[in-house]
Amino acid sequence: MHIMEGFLPLHWAVFWWAIALPCLLYGIYRLKKVLDADREALPLLGVTGGFIFILSSLKLPSVTGSCSHPTGTGLSTICFGPWITSVVCAIVLLFQALFLAHGGLSVLGANIVSMGIVGPLAGYAVYRALRDTRVNMFLTVFLACAIADMFTYITTSLELALAYPAEVGGIGSSFVLFMGIFAITQVPLAIVEGVVLALVFKYIVQLKPDILLRMNVFPEEKINAVRSDS
Amino acid sequence: MAYKYSLEILALIAVLVFCGLFLYTSSIMGNAEFAGSDTVGSEKISELSGIPEDKITPVIPQWVPPSGEIESALFALQAAIGGIMVGLVFGYWIGQKKGTNNT
Repeated sequence: MHIMEGFLPLHWAVFWWAIALPCLLYGIYRLKKVLDADREALPLLGVTGGFIFILSSLKLPSVTGSCSHPTGTGLSTICFGPWITSVVCAIVLLFQALFLAHGGLSVLGANIVSMGIVGPLAGYAVYRALRDTRVNMFLTVFLACAIADMFTYITTSLELALAYPAEVGGIGSSFVLFMGIFAITQVPLAIVEGVVLALVFKYIVQLKPDILLRMNVFPEEKINAVRSDS
Repeated sequence: MAYKYSLEILALIAVLVFCGLFLYTSSIMGNAEFAGSDTVGSEKISELSGIPEDKITPVIPQWVPPSGEIESALFALQAAIGGIMVGLVFGYWIGQKKGTNNT
């Protein structure tokens, strides 16, 4: 999902930065508030953020004959919401821009918008919609994680399509073109990511259910149901 | 509960299917390079914009890892940072749980 440095025209780079910056500032404000309210939230942030570090460093092969990264943003989105997640993503993306030449400083805004804002927002929407229904808790986590991953790449495709409309068919046809590269490659990765993060969530519930209850991540009945049979 | 490990089994199946899918694709697509989709995307950009890829220069000067080895080392470092955080916290929680059970 990294747009490479120099591959976005300057006005688009500035445009995406203008969207990313206020979201980041709000995320930092929220992060401070959450940590001030409950210091036990910090370890949870460590685990969910740690998985963003791990998963976004893995380049996995896919059915299209190319490789791509999972994003790992789903868990953090469920526990802390999309805004705090975008702060963690910004740290990871800055690391990759500075040391790995994956993405760059001018396109960092665009990359934060796709991986740190739109992806988590989409995952968060799924989570909010299913949280209080009868849908299984782990299925909810799986769906939220997979959708967050997919929407990251759909957003990258859209960002590139807006900047590089095709001569024939304009933005629409270059969107389809970029979706063919990014989104199709991502489908199997998103599924595996969703299953793995659902499993990680199970271990968090078993080890530290009280923090999830205090932060009201899932309704008490759902968490207790998993707790009692563990 | 009868399905205590169903999630573990599902995860294992997903990973195995994923690996099988990879072996299958790489065997039927003899010329697949498994390059990063970022790279493939960048090629498409230079096709669409008509600017050759080596003519596209960074807006903000950027350090590029001199070789694939160094790049993979730095990627491993990133994963290690994440792994340490995850391991530390799970260990902390397990210790906490043990501590409260004993008292």
